[in-house]
Amino acid sequence: MAPRARFSVQTLSVLAALEADPSAWLHGYAIAKQTGLASGTLYPILIRLADRRLIEARWEDEQPAGRPRRHLYRLTGEGLVAARTALSAAARRRRPATGRTAQGRLAAEGGA
Amino acid sequence: MDRLVRAVAAVVRCSARLLADDRRDWAHALLAETDEVATAPSARLAWLAGGLWLVAREIVVYRVVPVLAFVAGAVGLVWIGWPGASTNSATPANRMYVVGTLVLLAGLPVLVRRFAGPVRRGWAPSAARLGGYTVVLALVAAVDVKHRIGSQHGAYFPVVGGVWAMYVGFLLILAGHVAGLLILTSRRIRVSRGVLPAALGAAALIAAVLYLLAPYGIDAAIERATGDWGQATVPDYLLLGCFALAALAVPVAVHAVTIRLADNDGRPGVLAPARQAVLATTCAMAVAAMLVAVLTSLTIALRPGDVPRQPAGDGICHNCEPPTIVVPSNLRQEYQAESDVAHAGGSTLLALLVVPLVGAAIAAGRAGANGSRRPGGPFH
Repeated sequence: MAPRARFSVQTLSVLAALEADPSAWLHGYAIAKQTGLASGTLYPILIRLADRRLIEARWEDEQPAGRPRRHLYRLTGEGLVAARTALSAAARRRRPATGRTAQGRLAAEGGA
Repeated sequence: MDRLVRAVAAVVRCSARLLADDRRDWAHALLAETDEVATAPSARLAWLAGGLWLVAREIVVYRVVPVLAFVAGAVGLVWIGWPGASTNSATPANRMYVVGTLVLLAGLPVLVRRFAGPVRRGWAPSAARLGGYTVVLALVAAVDVKHRIGSQHGAYFPVVGGVWAMYVGFLLILAGHVAGLLILTSRRIRVSRGVLPAALGAAALIAAVLYLLAPYGIDAAIERATGDWGQATVPDYLLLGCFALAALAVPVAVHAVTIRLADNDGRPGVLAPARQAVLATTCAMAVAAMLVAVLTSLTIALRPGDVPRQPAGDGICHNCEPPTIVVPSNLRQEYQAESDVAHAGGSTLLALLVVPLVGAAIAAGRAGANGSRRPGGPFH
């Protein structure tokens, strides 16, 4: 059963960034760069999504040279369904008014 | 500027120690990314400021607010429940309730956490715990006030040991309810979406209806129906019938809704439908019993003058050897009026023990009946 999609524009932008390549593990700063969100906005969103089991998180397996290990995120199966539902609903809501796609609108609003 | 960046990073790192284990990871994740942020110190500072905000928010929401809320509740209970004249026979029991309740409310989360894990993330489990604690504190405060009003003339009858066992029993029943609340809102218990809201909604609805039918409890109707106090009337039987019907209908309805919701939920880690049904049904019945008990006790404590009155007794202590008159004749009316207040709503407190067990038994019975028709048994 897919959860009801009630996400803020910022959360949608995070979901869009993760949904672009669902199999890829992204780190926080990469998502921040893609969405334009500040860390104080991004991390509470990631925490909420993880609490709702829409994303999974893990630390990098091996210690890279010259930098700390990163915390990585990607959508769960349930999260992928929720993200696609929410993004297409957002696109449907916006298309009649602007003729733009959801992701384009998100980018214009300071998102992706 | 670099020194400032390092200082803020150190503050974030140190304050992250105040967070729960799983939350600390997020602060460390943010710190680990700091080196990736553009080389401009102002950008790093902005990134770390977000970390500071994240840590502060988590500490306030998950540490400071719950502790302050508990302290406020504890102070309120002590303020209401502790006072009492030394001549009031309820004072020692009331104080035992205050201390016992606060100890179990503070201690049970630590105990339950060892077996069932910490509170589930999200606002709903935390709100459920806050609401549950508020209801328990309100119930104990109302019971204390009710007993204090009902024991102002002191104990004319000798206090037998069984009374204290009953007081301790009441605390143990409360402990069971609190433990159930903590387990249901813990991280190891996963139920399907909508199951607990449906159970709680049914419980709140039925509790409201039953309370409106009998705001001072059903003790008088029970006594009339059993012939202990006057003649029972048709409304008495109708009232008792409504309570009995609710005790049977709520478990059946909650069980059916839970099975339907759980059967449509294929997520891994979610409990089997039959287990969910037993949990949800027991939870609904416990919540309904608790709400009826707290509403009835509050009504009696706030409006003791409206409690149904029994005729004054003969003032004789029949358990004494030899039986003797212990209540002076000029005080019997007042003594009886107080006694009526002290004992009013007693059945709602007993229901706190019986009603959840009825719910669990009905749900388990239905699970067994359904399971015998399914391959793999009821709990698979």
